[in-house]
Amino acid sequence: MENIKSQIIKVMSAVFEVPIEDITETSSVDSIDSWDSLKHLNLILALEEEFNISIPNEEVGNLMNYKLIELIVNECRK
Amino acid sequence: MENLKYSEILAQNQILRNTVKGIPYRISVLSNVTINSLKEILEYSLRVNQINPSIELGNYDNIIQDSVRYKDSDLVVVFFDMLNVVDSVSTFFEDINDELYNNLKNRICAEIDIIIENLKDSPSVIFNSFSSNYFIPNYTQKTIVETLVIELNKYLEERKNINISIINIDKIFTKIGIKQAIDFRLYNSSKAPYTLSFLKNYVTAINPIIYKNTGKLKKAIIFDCDNTLWKGIIGEDGIEKIDMSISSHFGKFYNKIQQIAVFLSKRGVIIGICSKNNESDVTEVLLNHPDVILKDEYIAIKKINWEDKTSNLLLIASELNIGLDSIVFVDDSSFEINLIKEQIPEIVSIQVPSAIYEYPDFLLQYITNYFNLSLNSEDAKKTIIYKQQTERESDKKNHKSIDEYLASLNISLTISVDDLSQIPRIAQLTQKTNQFNITTKRYTENQILNMINSVHDNVFAVSVADKFGDNGITAVCIIKTDLQNKKKCNIDTFLMSCRIIGRNIEFVLMDYIIGWLISHNFTTVTAKFIPTKKNQQVQDFYSLNGFALIKKESDYKIYSIELSKYQPKNISYISINFKELK
Repeated sequence: MENIKSQIIKVMSAVFEVPIEDITETSSVDSIDSWDSLKHLNLILALEEEFNISIPNEEVGNLMNYKLIELIVNECRK
Repeated sequence: MENLKYSEILAQNQILRNTVKGIPYRISVLSNVTINSLKEILEYSLRVNQINPSIELGNYDNIIQDSVRYKDSDLVVVFFDMLNVVDSVSTFFEDINDELYNNLKNRICAEIDIIIENLKDSPSVIFNSFSSNYFIPNYTQKTIVETLVIELNKYLEERKNINISIINIDKIFTKIGIKQAIDFRLYNSSKAPYTLSFLKNYVTAINPIIYKNTGKLKKAIIFDCDNTLWKGIIGEDGIEKIDMSISSHFGKFYNKIQQIAVFLSKRGVIIGICSKNNESDVTEVLLNHPDVILKDEYIAIKKINWEDKTSNLLLIASELNIGLDSIVFVDDSSFEINLIKEQIPEIVSIQVPSAIYEYPDFLLQYITNYFNLSLNSEDAKKTIIYKQQTERESDKKNHKSIDEYLASLNISLTISVDDLSQIPRIAQLTQKTNQFNITTKRYTENQILNMINSVHDNVFAVSVADKFGDNGITAVCIIKTDLQNKKKCNIDTFLMSCRIIGRNIEFVLMDYIIGWLISHNFTTVTAKFIPTKKNQQVQDFYSLNGFALIKKESDYKIYSIELSKYQPKNISYISINFKELK
C-alpha cells in the first residue's frame, strides 16, 4: 500500500513538475497550480502506464485529488 | 526511449532542463487533434542529445493559421489526422456519394497546398502520412476512407517541397499494433487519440531528421572483430575455424553484419576496426577469408593491437579528424563496452546481443536512428578519400618543407557560385562540419535553395582535387549583402571539411572571395566568429587574414576589413577554376 502511495506521488510530481515532498494526501486540483486540463490528460496516461491499468472513461474526470486517485488506482488493480 | 516510462521521461526531462543550454532548437507542432503529451517526450529526446529544445504546440485543429504563425520555426511538425477528417463528415463515411467524396478530397488537397505554400521557406517540415488504420478494415476490398487516404498520400508526395519529410505512421501502427497506438476513450473525451507508446515511437521516428538538422548524426562505426564480425576467436580457434558463412547456422548473422557494414560504407559512413588481435591475423581474414564480405577496401581505419580500446578509439577519432560524439562502437565484450561507456561516454557503445539472431536488427535500429543513409556521390567516394588521406600523410615524410610538400600535391580548386545542383552537398556540409566552421550555422537544403535564389546572398561551393584524387565539394562560403548599405557585406558561413584542412586552401579561398567581392563593387566586409567546443582552430582565422576586431562579446566576435586594405597571400601552388551560374 505504501508502495502504491509513493508511486502515485512520484507520478504526480513528474506530471505537475512539483517536488515530491510538496505532494501529500491532501493535494488536489486546488492546491497544485499547474494542474490544468492538459496536464490532467498526461496524469491519466502516466498513471495507466505506471500501474498497467485502464481507467474507465467515466472515472477520468473524477481524479481531482490524491485520495480519489489512490481509490481508483486500487479499484482498477483488482 | 520506447522502454522508458512516461513518468521517468518527465522526471529526467526536468533534470536535463537545467543542464542543457545553448541556442534553442525551435519546434512547432501543428495538429487537428490534441497532441500535448508529445511535448515533454520530444523535449527529453532532444535534451538527451544535448540539443536545447523550444517546443510550441499550435492551437487545436488550427493547422492552416498556425502554418503562417510558426513558419519561422527550425522544424514544423504537422499532424493532419484522418480521424478528425472523418468525424467532420456527418454522413456515415462508407456511404458518402461521389460528390461529397470529391468535395472533401478537393478541400483537403487545397488545405495541403496552403500548408505547403505557407511553410515553403521553413528550414524543415515533417508531415505525417494519412492513415486509414484507425478504422475497421475490409479484408477483401478497399473502403472509401482507404481510397481517400491512398489518393491524399499520393497528392502529398507529388506536391511536397524539398524541405518536407513524410513520416509513414502506418509503420508505427504495424510495429506496435493499432490497439496499442490509439486510445479511442481519450479521443472521445479530449480529442487525444495517441497513446504514450505511439508518441514515444513517433519521437524515435523523427529523431534522425532532427539529428540531421542539428549536426548530431554519427559519422563512423567501429567494430571489434572476434564474435562481432565473425563467430569465433582467431587467436584460439584459428583462421580456418572462424565462421562468417552465409550458409552456416550462426555464421549467417555475422555475414549479414558484414553486408550491413558494406552497405553503410557505400553510403559514406566510415567503417573501422578496433580489435585486440595480431594485426597480421585480421588482415589475412579481411584479404583472403573465403566468406569475408567486409573486405579491406571498405575499411577506412584499423587499430589492431593489444593496447586498451580507449586509447585506440581516441586515436581513431584524432586520425580521422572527427569528434568522439560522431562514433558508434560495436563489441561483444561487456567489459569493453562498459569501459568505453565509462571512459568515453560521448561514443555510442553497442554490445552484440547474446541471442545472436537479434544482432542484425539490433544494429539496424541504431543505424536508422543515428545515420543519414542518403546516397549521394560524395558519400560513395568517402572511403577512398579517407584512404587517400592516409597516403598523403605518408607522402608528407618524403618532403622537406611543408610548402614543398603542398606544392608537390598539385592542388586545384573548382569554385562555383549559386550552383543549384550542389544544394544537397552544401547543406550536408553545413550540418556536419564542426572543426573548421567559423559560425557553425546549420542549414537545410531548403534554406540553401532560398539563399541561392536570393539576389542578396551568394553561396560559394569549392571542390578540391590533388594528385591523389578528387575530394569533391569540401568547402563552403556564404556571403550576405548588407541590405542597409549595398557596398557592405557579411561572411555568414566559412567552412571546410576536415579532410582538406592543413593545405592552406582557406587562404587561397579567402583571397579569391575578397577578389570576387571587389569585382562586384563591395568596399567592406564584416565577419562573425562564434566559438564552439570544436572550432578553436579557427579562432584566429580573421586576424590572420588582416581583419580588425571591432566587437568582442563572450559568445561571439565581429571582425571587419576594408577590401582595398586586404593583403592577398598569393599562394602560387594552388590553382583555381571558376564557374558562375547566377
